[in-house]
Amino acid sequence: MLEARHVTFSYDGIQPVLRSIDLTLQRGETLLITGPTGSGKSTLAKFLCGFIPRIVRGECSGVLSIDGDDADSLTLTEIARKVSLVQQDPESQICTLTVSDEVAFGPENYLIKPEVMTRLVDSSLASIGSSHLAGRLTYALSGGEKQRVVIASMLACQPDYLILDEPSSSLDQKGILQLGQILSELKKKNLGVICIEHHLEPFLPSADRVLSLSEGRLFPWAQDVGRRGGPFQNHSVLPIETDALASMKNVSFAYADRPVIRRVTMAIHRGEVIALMGDNGSGKTTLLCLLDGLLNPLEGEICLGANSVKRLSKKDIAKKVAMVFQNPNNQIFERTVSREQLLTLDVLGLKESRLTENSGARLDEAGLAEFKDRNPFALSHGQKRRLNVCSAVVHDPDLYLFDEPFIGQDERGQRFITNTIAERARTGGACVVATHDLPFAAEYCSRLVFLENGSLLFDGRPESVFHRLEQTGRPEYSLGKVAS
Amino acid sequence: MTSRTGFIDRNTILHRLNPAMKLCALVSIAVATIVYPSWRLSAIVLLSILVCFRLSHVPLRLTKGRMKFILTFAALMLLLQIIVIENGSILFYLLPQIGSLGPFFPVTDFGIERGLDIVVRFLLIIFSSILFVSITDPTLLAYSLVRIGIPYRYAFSLVLALRFLPLFDSENNIVRMAQQSRGISLEVGSIHKILRSVRYTFFPLLVSALSRVDSLSLSMTGRGFGYSDKRTYLRITHWSPSDWAILAISVIFTIFCFILALGLLPQVSRFL
Repeated sequence: MLEARHVTFSYDGIQPVLRSIDLTLQRGETLLITGPTGSGKSTLAKFLCGFIPRIVRGECSGVLSIDGDDADSLTLTEIARKVSLVQQDPESQICTLTVSDEVAFGPENYLIKPEVMTRLVDSSLASIGSSHLAGRLTYALSGGEKQRVVIASMLACQPDYLILDEPSSSLDQKGILQLGQILSELKKKNLGVICIEHHLEPFLPSADRVLSLSEGRLFPWAQDVGRRGGPFQNHSVLPIETDALASMKNVSFAYADRPVIRRVTMAIHRGEVIALMGDNGSGKTTLLCLLDGLLNPLEGEICLGANSVKRLSKKDIAKKVAMVFQNPNNQIFERTVSREQLLTLDVLGLKESRLTENSGARLDEAGLAEFKDRNPFALSHGQKRRLNVCSAVVHDPDLYLFDEPFIGQDERGQRFITNTIAERARTGGACVVATHDLPFAAEYCSRLVFLENGSLLFDGRPESVFHRLEQTGRPEYSLGKVAS
Repeated sequence: MTSRTGFIDRNTILHRLNPAMKLCALVSIAVATIVYPSWRLSAIVLLSILVCFRLSHVPLRLTKGRMKFILTFAALMLLLQIIVIENGSILFYLLPQIGSLGPFFPVTDFGIERGLDIVVRFLLIIFSSILFVSITDPTLLAYSLVRIGIPYRYAFSLVLALRFLPLFDSENNIVRMAQQSRGISLEVGSIHKILRSVRYTFFPLLVSALSRVDSLSLSMTGRGFGYSDKRTYLRITHWSPSDWAILAISVIFTIFCFILALGLLPQVSRFL
C-alpha cells in the first residue's frame, strides 16, 4: 500500500500548498484526483514519488510509506522502482532519440539484461497498444504518441504504483478512450494507479474512488452540474453574413516533403464559433497558422475580408486576427503581467483609452488582476494560458484563432476562455478553436470543421458532424460520449 | 530513414562499423590533414570519402541548399587565394593587357597550389564530417564511448543535446510566429531595440528550456538514472575485425603524415 500521512508542504515556507493530506492507495486500485489549477495536485504527485523533499525543495512534513517501508529509509531510485510518475508534458520527459531506446531507458539504468530488456520493451509497448511505434524517432511522434511512449517507458520500470498527472492533456478523443482502457488494463495487472485529471468522464468507469484537491486539502469528489456554466448556451448568436471575415480556397501546405494541409476550402463568417477538430497530427495547428498568415501556402489563396493575406503586412494581420498558441511560455515577452497584456496595443499603436480600460476589466475577469505587477513567467500554467488570451485579444480583433485553449484549465479558466470566445462571436467577430474538447464543440460552437490527414472531411453544425463521424466508424466522436 | 540529427539509417557495411572507431577515423583524417597540408594527399583521401558516400548509399545532393553553399564558398576561397598570392611563376593573367592598360591579376603556380591546399583540405574535413554524421547512429556513438571508458553521464549528454535540438529549433519557430501574430517585428535600429528584440526571443526560449530541464531531470531520475555506476544497454556495439583494421589504417595514415611533415621521407613527399 502507498500511504501518505499528515502531509503538509510549502515551496516558500509561507504559503502552504498541501495541508495535512492523508491518502492511501492499494495495489490494483485506481484513484482519480481532480481539482482547480494551482490546488497542489502536481505537488502531491511529486511528494508521492519521493521527489519532494529530495529534489524539489520546500518546507515539508508528513510521512510517506511504500508497502510498509518508511520512504525516509529509501533512496530516490529505490522509491522510483516502486512508484513511477508520468508528468504533464510528455515532450519534456523523453530523453532519447528512438522509441525503443526510450522505453528501455529505465531497465538499462536498473541493469536489466539485454535479452530480458527486449521482452520488457515489447510487452510495455504492447500493453498500451503502441508496438508499431518501436522503431520510430521520438521527436517525430505526435503529442498523443509521445504520451503513450512516456507511459510505456514508466511501465518498463515495472513499478507497483503509477501516478499520471493530467495524462489526457495531449491526447485526441481516440487517445483519451485508449487511455481509459489502458487504466483498466493496469488495474488488472494489480498496479495501484493515481490519475490526476480535469476531465474525469473518460476515466470514471475504471476508477475505484474519486477525490478532489482544493486549497491543499483532499475531499470526496462531488459531480458538478455544468462544467462551464456561463451565459453562452447553444451557439449561433448572429445571423450568418454572406461576406466572409476570412476564407481559404484550395489551400495546400507541406513541411519539407510531408503534406500537412491538402486543398482545404472554407470560409469564416461573423458570429461563428468554429470547433476545429481532428486526431493528433491532422493539421489543425498548421491550418490556424495559415489563417494568421504565419505560414505561406504552397498553393491556394487565403483572404482576410477581401484582401489576400499575402498582400497584408504582419501588423495589418495582427490588427484583425488574434492567435493563441499551445505552449504559454512561447508567447510571453514582457516583464510584468500588465505590460505583457498591453504589449500588442503598444506595438500596433492602439493605445486608446477604451481599449486600455477594457484590458483591466478583462484581466480582472481572468483572475489575474492581483498579479498585474508580477513576472508573467512566475504564474501557473493555467494562469499563463489565461494571460495569453488576455494579451492576444486586448485590441478586440475580429477573428480569434485559439489552439487547444482548454488544456490545463480548471472550471474557472474554462469559463473565462469560453466567455471570451462567446463575447467575440456575440459582438460581430468570429472564433476558430482547435480542440479535442467534445462538450465544448457540442454545446458552444455553431459549426464543426473536422480534419483528417490535412483534408477537410466534414464541415457543418456540430450535431450533424458528430452524427456523420459516428456513422463513418469513429465512435470516439459520438454524441453519446459528449452526453456522458 | 533520415533524422533531423543528420543520421541516415541504412544497412551498409559502413553503417555497421563501430561508432567509436568511426570517430577515431574522423579525428585521424582531421589531424593528418592539418599536420601535412598537401592537396594531392588530401585529394586522394577526399576521393575515397566520396567512394564511401556511394558505398553507404548516402546522397550528396551537390546542387542543394547547404552543399551548394559549401561548394560556392570553396570556389570563392580558391579564387581569392589565386588573386591574392603573386609569388611563383606567372602562368597567365586574369585580365590580360589591353593596349597600354594592364595586365592585372597574375595567376601563379604557387597561388594555385596554395588555393588547392586550402580548398581541398576544407572540403575533405567537411565531407568526412558529413559522412560520419550520416552513417553514425548518435545513440550508439554515445554507448560506444561508454564502452571505451567515458562515464555514461557525460556520454548521455550527447544524446540529450541531439534529442532537444529539433525541439528548440521548432520552439524558436513558434516564438517567432507568436511575435509576428502580435505584430512584433524584430528591430535593430538602436541598442535599446536590439536588446528588446533579443529579450523577446531569448526569454521565452530560456523559460521554456528551463521548465523542460526540471521535468526531464525528474523523468530521468524517476527511471533510475544514476542508480548504479554502470548501465546495461538494449543495443550493444561490438568491435569487429574490420573495425580494428580500419582503426589500424587510420593510425598508420596519421603517423605517415607526421613522418612526411617532419621531412623524413623526402622522396615520397616530392610526389605528395
